[in-house]
Amino acid sequence: MNRRPVFLITVLCFGFAFFYIPILSMIVYSFNASRLATVWGGFSTRWYVSLLSNDQVINALVLSLKIAFVSASVATILGTMAGITLARFTKFRGRMVFSGLVTAPLVMPEVITGISSLIFFIILADWIGWPGQRGFTTITLAHITFSMVFVTIIVQSRMLQMDRTIEEAAMDLGSRPWQVMKDITLPVISPAIVSGWLLAFTISLDDVVITSFTTGPGSTTLPLLIWSKVKLGVTPDINALATLMVVTVGIGVVAAGIILNRAERRRLIEERMAHERDG
Amino acid sequence: MSGGRLSRWFDRKGWTALLIGAPYLWLVLFFLLPFLIVVAMSVATKTPTAPPFSFGGEHPVVNLDAYGRVLTDGLYLRAFLTSITNALVAMILCLLIGYPMALGLTRVSKGWRNILLMLVILPFWTSFLLRVYAWMGMMGRNSWFNGLLTDSWNFLVPLDWAVRSVPMMHTNFAVVLVMVYTYLPFMILPLYASLERLDPVLDEAAMDLGSRPWQVFRDVTLPQSIPGIVAGGMLVFIPAAGELVIPSLVGNASSPMIGRLISDEFSSARDWPMASAVAVVLLVLMVVPTMLYSHFQAKSEGSK
Amino acid sequence: MVSAEEPFLRIEGVSKSFGTFQAVKDVTLTVGKGEIFSLLGGSGCGKTTLLRMLAGFEEPTAGRIFLDGRDLAGVPPWDRPIHMMFQSYAIFPHMTVEANVAYGLKHEHGMDKAARAERVAAMLDLVQLTDFAKRKSHQISGGQRQRVALARALARQPKLLLLDEPLAALDKKLREHTQFELMSIQQRTGVTFIVVTHDQEEAMTLSDRIAVMDRGEVKQVGSPTDIYEYPVSRFVAGFIGSVNAFEATVLGHDGPHLRLEVPALGGAVLARDPLGVVVGQKIGLAVRPEKIRISKDRPEGVNVVAGQVKDLAYFGKDSLYRIAMPGGALVQAHAVNSSRGDEGVGVADWDDAVWLSFDPSAAIVLVD
Repeated sequence: MNRRPVFLITVLCFGFAFFYIPILSMIVYSFNASRLATVWGGFSTRWYVSLLSNDQVINALVLSLKIAFVSASVATILGTMAGITLARFTKFRGRMVFSGLVTAPLVMPEVITGISSLIFFIILADWIGWPGQRGFTTITLAHITFSMVFVTIIVQSRMLQMDRTIEEAAMDLGSRPWQVMKDITLPVISPAIVSGWLLAFTISLDDVVITSFTTGPGSTTLPLLIWSKVKLGVTPDINALATLMVVTVGIGVVAAGIILNRAERRRLIEERMAHERDG
Repeated sequence: MSGGRLSRWFDRKGWTALLIGAPYLWLVLFFLLPFLIVVAMSVATKTPTAPPFSFGGEHPVVNLDAYGRVLTDGLYLRAFLTSITNALVAMILCLLIGYPMALGLTRVSKGWRNILLMLVILPFWTSFLLRVYAWMGMMGRNSWFNGLLTDSWNFLVPLDWAVRSVPMMHTNFAVVLVMVYTYLPFMILPLYASLERLDPVLDEAAMDLGSRPWQVFRDVTLPQSIPGIVAGGMLVFIPAAGELVIPSLVGNASSPMIGRLISDEFSSARDWPMASAVAVVLLVLMVVPTMLYSHFQAKSEGSK
Repeated sequence: MVSAEEPFLRIEGVSKSFGTFQAVKDVTLTVGKGEIFSLLGGSGCGKTTLLRMLAGFEEPTAGRIFLDGRDLAGVPPWDRPIHMMFQSYAIFPHMTVEANVAYGLKHEHGMDKAARAERVAAMLDLVQLTDFAKRKSHQISGGQRQRVALARALARQPKLLLLDEPLAALDKKLREHTQFELMSIQQRTGVTFIVVTHDQEEAMTLSDRIAVMDRGEVKQVGSPTDIYEYPVSRFVAGFIGSVNAFEATVLGHDGPHLRLEVPALGGAVLARDPLGVVVGQKIGLAVRPEKIRISKDRPEGVNVVAGQVKDLAYFGKDSLYRIAMPGGALVQAHAVNSSRGDEGVGVADWDDAVWLSFDPSAAIVLVD
């Protein structure tokens, strides 16, 4: 039945307007010549110029990228291990506790995670003298902990979809279990690992609350910088910064989407051609 | 041949021990231990030392003062009430907007569907802080959006009720609005996932048996999408109830939400036991519905 | 009032296009009350589209459908007294067997609770599922799901029941059993059945009449015997059962028969006269394999040709021979193995020279 779902299409249109009008408005106002962020004073790119010559912003961005890179990489290793464990080993002592530990950070309000990390680091410093100063190390440790569980979920669900007979085939051909893991399982789940890393990277890059608790003097990440400026109100240079970030991420996501779509389409075409060769 | 024995040990057991052990140890050390410290902290006593707490000594080992204050001081009760109401309202609004959107996504052509899904996910990848900030720009007194709202209000109501601008910033309304804005994708995606799985033949079967479209929705679509509704509801409600950033940027400072209160107790008042006690109570409030949910889910899966 | 001549279901010049693709082309059919009528054809022949137009899920691009004298144009699916058994059975997974069967009755507003419960119980009894009333769809077998779908569709006492590939999802053994069960339920309820199927054996055993469809058109309508014994076109002859088909030219009439020149068989043969063919016309000749006799010695009579056994397949109760003709064609022939196996494989062996013969009445002339 081809009745046009008029009501649903209307809601979709309003929904997407709701999603994108604030972002578009922010982008338009980033080209506002006026110092008053909400009053239009003609077109200008001056805020972009002042932004790019602002060392504070550049330093914060570099620190954020460093933390995101290190924490995403470690989180991906640990998260992949945990994901494989949960998908493959259904019976080991402490599995209940382990799966609880993997889901708990997901439902834990960020404020609580932030406070508990901070108290932990302070007490640790009090007892063993480490970490002497909070900053890069403490932020990275906290980020690894809460982003690894996202990697775990992605890897676990991919593992559960995987055809186990190919692992059995490798074992039948003489591979030891850990070699099967290395030669068969990891390559097959590698797309899930890559998307896990990307998710961990963006989560780290975006985090405000946990970072604000685990940071120390002199370690200002980009979200913390924005946070401190935004608390004081809407300013045109933040509009410009926001525009740059939204556009960068937007291009990245769209490009990734197109590449994946193309790869998928090519795979389908190749499959169909292979089929035709058969019959 | 200790090398041989070692490699045999690794082949049999060692690699699994390593695989399980490393993430396990990490989570125990950096997640479970800090959390247990917070639980312990909630029964400690505040002192003017550094760090500002003490167990035992001249103080009671288990000091329940903080919990007493959470349950009796109006400030905390109001904060809990505000948080839960705001989160509930945001969750319901997300459901009311997100459900028809998710259903609409399953009804458009395949090509459009991929594009629209990407458009739902796109804001999710952009900075959370900047999405909140985008609405600050829209809600401010001099903004074009507020101007538009003001003009339409003044046009619709009698002259006596006319306003210079619609008060939006620093209200609970602003908090709910921005929460709906930032959390809507969390509602749409699980709903879409559960709606997309439904077999359209079931709709036809219901129609064939005499159901009009709205009855098909009520009897067939809605009951089968309950897992999606529950998942989306949890994904919105839990972070919304503990939200810190949104209320502190656009909220009303005189009726703080619980996240803000925890942060203030900790940093400004330096009352760690108090902050910890509030956190533990919040967590209990979060964990109970989560446990009910997973219990419910395990039961429905067990019957399959 | 319906006049005596008015058929129960009348499909009149119905066509359906999707964009430029014409799924159903100008179909005209009538179905009588209480009949089991099959739409038979391969995938993409338009049978399912026709069924969906009857159910109301598609509107015809042209033509009209009348049920019991009422024009169904513009009547939505939920208002039609027509119910469907879906190919996938479409059992509501969130409801019990009982709730599935009761679902359609919710919309019968004149019916009280007790009457509803009674009807549901009667339906469950009809399909022998009373003991499974409280189960959900994932807790019952494929055959049971099929019966739930049947009971659910019959519960509202439809004027017409549409069955989309009713047996396709079942395994072979269950299929035969279910076939007879469907027929007995149809007899007990008296509801008119329209069955869509791609399986010719299923159509032959189930139906009172069959419409063979190809590329959106109805090629032939008739009883199973009509369709099998008197196909009118090469398509129908080839689709139903297996057949030996040859190109032929009409030489003339010979008493009640037609004399044909068949180059592939190396000479002239006599065939059934379909009337209306002229001398010199190019036509098709079809002979079913089981109508061809094989013998080592030359038999008496007409339509006798010589050949050599190229291939033979032993099936137990019978054997299939492939026999090379002098003209180069391969002819298939079935022979029943009436003698015991230890007395030889059958009538003939590989490379044996044999004689083939068939009655003129078994030779079918195909004009189309």
